[in-house]
Amino acid sequence: MTEHKILFTGPMGAGKTTAIGAVSETPPVITDVVNTDTSHSKSHTTVGLDFGQLTLPGGDRIRLFGTPGQARFDFLWKILVKNALGLIILADNSRPDPIKDLRTYLDGFSDELKDLPCVVGVGRLAEHPSVGLEDYLDEIARYGLVLPVLEVDARRRDDVVLLIDTLLAQLEASLYGA
Amino acid sequence: MKLGAPFHLSSETKAWVHREAQRLLEEVSGVVAVVVATVDGFDVGSAMKQGDPERVAAMASSIFAISAVVSQEASLGRSRSVTIDTDEGFALVHSVHRPEAGLVISVIAGQEAILGQVAYQVSQFARDLAAA
Repeated sequence: MTEHKILFTGPMGAGKTTAIGAVSETPPVITDVVNTDTSHSKSHTTVGLDFGQLTLPGGDRIRLFGTPGQARFDFLWKILVKNALGLIILADNSRPDPIKDLRTYLDGFSDELKDLPCVVGVGRLAEHPSVGLEDYLDEIARYGLVLPVLEVDARRRDDVVLLIDTLLAQLEASLYGA
Repeated sequence: MKLGAPFHLSSETKAWVHREAQRLLEEVSGVVAVVVATVDGFDVGSAMKQGDPERVAAMASSIFAISAVVSQEASLGRSRSVTIDTDEGFALVHSVHRPEAGLVISVIAGQEAILGQVAYQVSQFARDLAAA
């Protein structure tokens, strides 16, 4: 039985807190406060960290951490990614420029992404199809990376579990030599 | 979907926050920075001898949010302040409970500063700001 630490990141409003809440077996630790940034249509936002726990069918324990989305909290990104076995970037296709958002996290975690497994989950794709999964893949390729990109609904437990499973599969592939 | 709640301080209150931050910086021995920020990490008024108020504001909101979940987990009521005691001074983050949206005051102080004195001044500032 192993313990994994997985970190969720991505823009404000993409559903990081929701995703952790959707799968956590223990009441998640949430550091939401009132959002005063009117350029974002949400009432609360994470400024510390989110934390939840999940046991996989094989008995592996997953500790899920979430970062604040805004780049002014990038000092926490560096703290939270320490000892993480994988990174999940949640994207939000309803935002004005989701590919630019993606770059924020690919740049923000560029050192870690050299060897840290990562999966990208794209939310609100059906309602906002102008940017497709292939656009994400193309941008990731420009960084010289190959990462799985999946369509997800952060509110659905199955979708979040699929993201985690995909990440763990990547982890195993890198451990045992793909 | 609910919009972000814009944070409003009257220009009068803002000017007072600035003056008060400046006063603490000048009058309290050892203080090197005073930053007042929203709970989501935006600087609303500051006075600093060094450093970047925007970064201090973001860090203060994180520290405060984490202290709030700790006090909640331990059933200790609302979190009032956090002190980071360091080799060369201390940082103090104090909450301001205002009805519409809270604020946090951060003070960074060097070795010459006396913790009790700074804590007293900051809690006075927080009380006045909560009522302002």
